[in-house]
Amino acid sequence: MSKLLSPAKTEVLFMGNEAIARGALEAGLSVAAGYPGTPSSEVIENLASVAGQRNLYVEWSTNEKVAVEVAAAASFAGLRSMCVMKQNGVNVASDFLLHLTASGTRGGMVLVSCEDPGALSSVNEGESRYFARMLEIPLLEPANFQEAKDLTKWAFELSEKIHNIVMLRSVTRMSHASGNVICGSLTDKSRVARFVYDGPITDPLRGPVISTPVVAKHRLQQEKLEKAKKLFEESPFNKYFGPKKPQLLIITSSVCFLYSQEAVSSLGLQKRAGILKLGCTWPLPERLLKKYLRLTDKIMIVEEVLPFMEESVKVLAAGMPKEIGLKTFYGKIDKTLPAVGELNPDIICAALSKVMKVKCKSIPAAYVKGLQKAAALIPPRDQTFCPGCPHRASFWSINTALKRDGREGFVCGDIGCYAMAALTPAIGFHTVRTLHSMGSGTGLACGFAKLGAFGFDKPVLSVCGDSTFYHAVIPALINAQHNRADITFVVLDNAGTAMTGFQPHPGLTTSAMGEAVPAVDIAQICAAIGAKVAISDPFDLDGTSKLLNSFMEQSGSLNVLILRQICALSPEKKGKKKFEMRVDEALCLGEDCGCNRLCTRIFRCPALTWDRTKKKAVVDEVICAGCGVCSSICPQKAIMKTEVIS
Amino acid sequence: MVKGLSSQKLLKNNVLEENLCTGCGACVGLCPYQVIYHDRTVQLHYCDLTEGKCYAFCPRTPTDFAKLRELLFDVNDLTPEIGAVKAYYLTRATDVSLRDVAQHGGTVTALMELALAEGLIDSAIVSFRNQEFLQNGSMAKDKKTIRKNAGSKFTVSPTIAAFNQLVNQEAGKVGVVATPCQVLALAKMKAQSQKDESGKINQLQLVIGLYCGWALSMEKFSQMLAKYNIKLDAIKRMDIPAGKNILELYTEAGVKEISFDEAQACIREACRYCIDSTAEYADVSVGAARFSGNAEEQRRWNQLIVRTQKGRYLIELAVKRGVLEIREAPAESLQELKKAAAEKKKAALKNIMRKSGSAKNLLYLDRRDAVVQAILEQSR
Repeated sequence: MSKLLSPAKTEVLFMGNEAIARGALEAGLSVAAGYPGTPSSEVIENLASVAGQRNLYVEWSTNEKVAVEVAAAASFAGLRSMCVMKQNGVNVASDFLLHLTASGTRGGMVLVSCEDPGALSSVNEGESRYFARMLEIPLLEPANFQEAKDLTKWAFELSEKIHNIVMLRSVTRMSHASGNVICGSLTDKSRVARFVYDGPITDPLRGPVISTPVVAKHRLQQEKLEKAKKLFEESPFNKYFGPKKPQLLIITSSVCFLYSQEAVSSLGLQKRAGILKLGCTWPLPERLLKKYLRLTDKIMIVEEVLPFMEESVKVLAAGMPKEIGLKTFYGKIDKTLPAVGELNPDIICAALSKVMKVKCKSIPAAYVKGLQKAAALIPPRDQTFCPGCPHRASFWSINTALKRDGREGFVCGDIGCYAMAALTPAIGFHTVRTLHSMGSGTGLACGFAKLGAFGFDKPVLSVCGDSTFYHAVIPALINAQHNRADITFVVLDNAGTAMTGFQPHPGLTTSAMGEAVPAVDIAQICAAIGAKVAISDPFDLDGTSKLLNSFMEQSGSLNVLILRQICALSPEKKGKKKFEMRVDEALCLGEDCGCNRLCTRIFRCPALTWDRTKKKAVVDEVICAGCGVCSSICPQKAIMKTEVIS
Repeated sequence: MVKGLSSQKLLKNNVLEENLCTGCGACVGLCPYQVIYHDRTVQLHYCDLTEGKCYAFCPRTPTDFAKLRELLFDVNDLTPEIGAVKAYYLTRATDVSLRDVAQHGGTVTALMELALAEGLIDSAIVSFRNQEFLQNGSMAKDKKTIRKNAGSKFTVSPTIAAFNQLVNQEAGKVGVVATPCQVLALAKMKAQSQKDESGKINQLQLVIGLYCGWALSMEKFSQMLAKYNIKLDAIKRMDIPAGKNILELYTEAGVKEISFDEAQACIREACRYCIDSTAEYADVSVGAARFSGNAEEQRRWNQLIVRTQKGRYLIELAVKRGVLEIREAPAESLQELKKAAAEKKKAALKNIMRKSGSAKNLLYLDRRDAVVQAILEQSR
């Protein structure tokens, strides 16, 4: 049995995302939809794994906007539903969300946004908490693993009480860390999907679900928010820890609560500083805040990333000067804490020691020295593509084609593992020159291609992965064709949403729940748009680069090259080597003129290592994926490949 | 040499970006970093070596010409205008069918065929043209392949790249048909091999140089052809007939005459800085005959300079075997050639000075070199 279905009252070690999934199950969830994105993906994956047992419908949607729409339909039909995404996904979904929050929901509906402060696995550290304010919906933030489950469950109840979507925000250190959770009971679901639409338009629960009449519905939406605020005043998820008369009040939420607790105790400030931990962070419960703001005149707000709560607290405080008195606020606005990156107990200790004028127990000098010495021993490790990764071969050919073309063309990048070609330029052979949101590479390429009248004369390529293609590239591609943007668009098709862990996408024949589904063919879509389409194996460097050059030399058409090769880490491929590789040392030129370590210095597959003593390249057969590509770049034909007969 | 810069970077700064690259292919095929695409030399990846062959072999990097002349020729044969001259003739292949397919007298093809047949060489590196009109070097081991590739090409061919890539031990003794820049690259390679006896350059046994005034830039030439709606692959043969200031393009549809001014505009920029029109560092150099008289008659003959002992042996053998007809060239013909070659040198030096912006900076050439000095004297 999946631990996700553990019986009530058992204590289970859950990853934050598992706790969120369990909370949804305890709430009687029926439908969940999402689009993969770190650190959110495990919520949908876990729910999908028990879909059969719990009679759920779980899907990986084409993109986050569609995911919210799919989940909203379930809510409209009276079921409990959830949509899950990373912070960037909320941006994608925001158009629909702005309408949904105006029309309201029926069955409990929760939007889970798992965010990535510090952008550990993102290209921005965007804050979706501001969406809660803009969408005028309640925001909940769990501060530990138990709360991750409990708050999720409560979010459904809250949503059903106010008839609007509730946002639950997690962060990487919550979603991807693990802690003990005491399970509640899994309710038996008996709800039947029924969409009632024949009432009057002004009746949000019986009429058509629509955001008009706008002003009336907007007023109603704000009343819902007021109702949520009242519930927040009494919520056990907002709790004060500390002395009755603290000198400093720390207001915090999410994992910053744990960091703050650690900082207070390591500085020995337990008797001087109190912590107000908020689980309900928008709208702020006014009376509760008033009660604790009175305790002291020094207030510090600790949160990731932007001063979202800090601003809200200050606005509240500004409205009640007589009741609470003058305050000094410490946080991001006065730069006591950084408004970028992740926080940690050390950062908070440093801030607290400044504010409370206590000495931060400094780390012994010998330790720091030892640490530096040890760090110097660590060999530098680049961010790079895996051994056997098709992207390395693809960018190799793209570079060859661009250099041969000679017009200083470039690639507009997109989101996926291949984004690393932009983040660490050397691994993309310095070809990728822009990187933004999903699908934006092709849109940007369209724009560059239309700058000819202003003196722009470079060929423009864009790349995207297969999952990204479905997610957001198709409109840009249609734009290119319709507006005659001569671009060469390359699909790096590695048969899965590889970066986030091989979640299925519309190009595959298995759904999130393991059912057989029809695949939607990329080549056919591109051909239908009117593009010239070619398909190549990126491991065929010569053929691929020739195709690219012929595409770049043709003007007046939209060209699409689909580079098909399964991800080296794909379960389908992993561990199965096509070739055994080895270096013939007698042939290897090493650092000499004629090679100068092309394979280990430029191609840089991690499976190719440099023997400093022998001054020869060596294949690390433990990590070599056996793709064989390196044998075709070696000028000496010193990297030998032998086909593995299985 | 600028300290710290890699050979590849120097090549980029001083040759490629200065438009001095002749497209000879000397830096290609030595390593994976440089390739030829169309007629351009392209650097694919960065190499940080400081004593690279690419820079050392390039005919447009500084060269110790005096040392090369000393190494390859009898100093008594040297002339400032056309290099070493042991003998000077008008020649043509005895085989009429060869003359029909070759550019002029078919001398080059006849000599290469002979060298192969007599075992003077085992393989020949010649240039060929593919369907897209792109030049490439190829290795020929028999008469048929050589004959297929006969004829002047007028665009650059990375012949030395082919030498670098194709010559292996099985190639045995190698002969190369090459333009002046390519011949110079081979000479520089030979001079380098004094240090490294294992290099494949030691397989090089015969260099037949081709006279060359300039080559066309593929890009400019294609643009010009597009104007006349001529497809590159439709061109069967090209020629600059003596006495007429035109470039002839032979196509199925007939002969298209391009005015010299228009053709000149398509010349590869690098050719304007070249001081060698007679392939001075070859064993034998061959060009179109220029003598007074019937133009059609001229078209059927070559002029030939014997420069080395090896060259003399080959020509004597060719006469002995009856593959080559030889005429003593009229005295004024050699004078005319020298005059034309000197003019080319003067023009190139002028262009170089204009490019560098200084009479002192001769880019890849050196003011102190005897030939450069002599030409500068003549210019005064």
